[in-house]
Amino acid sequence: MNRSVFWALVRKDLYLQRGLIVGMLTGGLLGLALFVAGSVYKAVGGAGVAVGGILFMTANVAGGIFLAMFTLLADRKELTRLFALSLPISGSRYAQSKLVGGYVAFLIPWVVLTVLAAVVFLPSPAPMRGMLVYALLIQFFVLALFSVVVGALFVVSSELASGLLILAVNILFSLFMVAINQPATIAPFRGPVIHWTPFAVWMFGGELLVTVLAIFFALSLAARRRDHL
Amino acid sequence: MRTADAYEAFALRGLCRSFRHFTLRDVSLTLPLGQIMGLVGPNGAGKSTTIRLLMGLIEPDAGQVELLGHAVPGDVAAAKREVAFVTDDMRLFGMASIAWHMRWMASLYPHWDQAYAAQLLKRFNLRGEQLVKGLSRGEHVKALLLLALARRPRLLVLDEPTSGLDPVARHELLAELMDIVRDEQRSILFSSHQTQDVERISDQIAFIDRGRVVDVRDKESFLERWRRLSVDIPAGARLPELPGVVDLTLGERLATLTTDRYDQDIEGRLAAAGAQVHEVQRMSLEEIFVASVMRSRQGDRS
Repeated sequence: MNRSVFWALVRKDLYLQRGLIVGMLTGGLLGLALFVAGSVYKAVGGAGVAVGGILFMTANVAGGIFLAMFTLLADRKELTRLFALSLPISGSRYAQSKLVGGYVAFLIPWVVLTVLAAVVFLPSPAPMRGMLVYALLIQFFVLALFSVVVGALFVVSSELASGLLILAVNILFSLFMVAINQPATIAPFRGPVIHWTPFAVWMFGGELLVTVLAIFFALSLAARRRDHL
Repeated sequence: MRTADAYEAFALRGLCRSFRHFTLRDVSLTLPLGQIMGLVGPNGAGKSTTIRLLMGLIEPDAGQVELLGHAVPGDVAAAKREVAFVTDDMRLFGMASIAWHMRWMASLYPHWDQAYAAQLLKRFNLRGEQLVKGLSRGEHVKALLLLALARRPRLLVLDEPTSGLDPVARHELLAELMDIVRDEQRSILFSSHQTQDVERISDQIAFIDRGRVVDVRDKESFLERWRRLSVDIPAGARLPELPGVVDLTLGERLATLTTDRYDQDIEGRLAAAGAQVHEVQRMSLEEIFVASVMRSRQGDRS
């Protein structure tokens, strides 16, 4: 029964966050459509590419932050955690269900958008194909940021701390965009060949490592916690 | 898990838990199956902390918790299968309807009683399609109680459940609770500072104050043992040593004494000492509670 309660709690999170999931998907798809339109049709041009790209990234980053906040922070703030903990589940299993619920809610739109972004670049004319690495680096950076927010929300409970967390995430993402858009960094991606530069390899490895560490941190914290409220 | 005859609804043994500004000390309580226990205490006395320890929501520094024969927190998930818990600061999911909550609970609890849930929905004047975020405070409490009662739990743990309820709903809830324990295998732990509610439905009563259990016994024994006596003491007469005097107010000739060990013999001893008993008053649970707490606090000071 513990297992069924666990998955019932995950399903509940997906049901309650359905609006955000659809919103993130819609925003991302619209951004991607504008990006493609700007690349293909001269009438739309560079403005379409720029606006589409910004919309796509905003949908990913903002969607991730909101999903983490609403899945993990809201149940403490809105006192729904007490109700969920009255169900036949232990405190640490409940925390695990929140982690899984948050990741599933985020990964549904994230996987769709990442795959579609890859599909946009892969069959594109040769000069654009190398941008696949660029797109993947951004998408996995967003996943790493989401994981950092999730890990932090296992510790943070105050509004001030969560506000500072959002600020830090935004600054980190801006710094990442500045770094990846340096002419020397982005130039190899503009080529016709998919080229994993040392920067790309290290960055990708770092993103995966941060994601794994954040999940491990959240799980170990949940297992050790004595108070589950 | 042991057989039904071999365990209590719950047993707390020597529970201690320290927080920054509050300490729960050596709390021991046991509730046999089929009984209602009222946990009475002022705000901040430790009622909610005790209940949270019982439900495995927080873990004790020392002591043991057993819930329907299961050790808590180790086996808390199994224990909670047959326990329903409602507290006044608990909230349902705001963006879902009452009907959604009912369906969700039905999918989790094999003993979920849909007919009873529908009956309670009607009795509590709720509508299934109502979104939780639009419910008033009283309606929200009723929805929580509906979801708890329709699980048909063997132990119902209620932390201040009647706060926020109008008098009619409160009356209905108490009647419902008394109905539940007609089944001798079902029990209720009920915390409140509304002593009338506790007096009305409890078999056992525990007084808690400043993190300690001040007194615990069955309701009848509380009500039978506590009395307030008005005594006329003529000149030259002296009050004899009496057992269990909790409070004594002396006037020029009139004394008022409160005892927690009243029996007919006290009146005989007063008469033998030349004092005349004017009146022997039964005390309400609220008066007994206040006197118990005051005695405990005086004991702490001395």
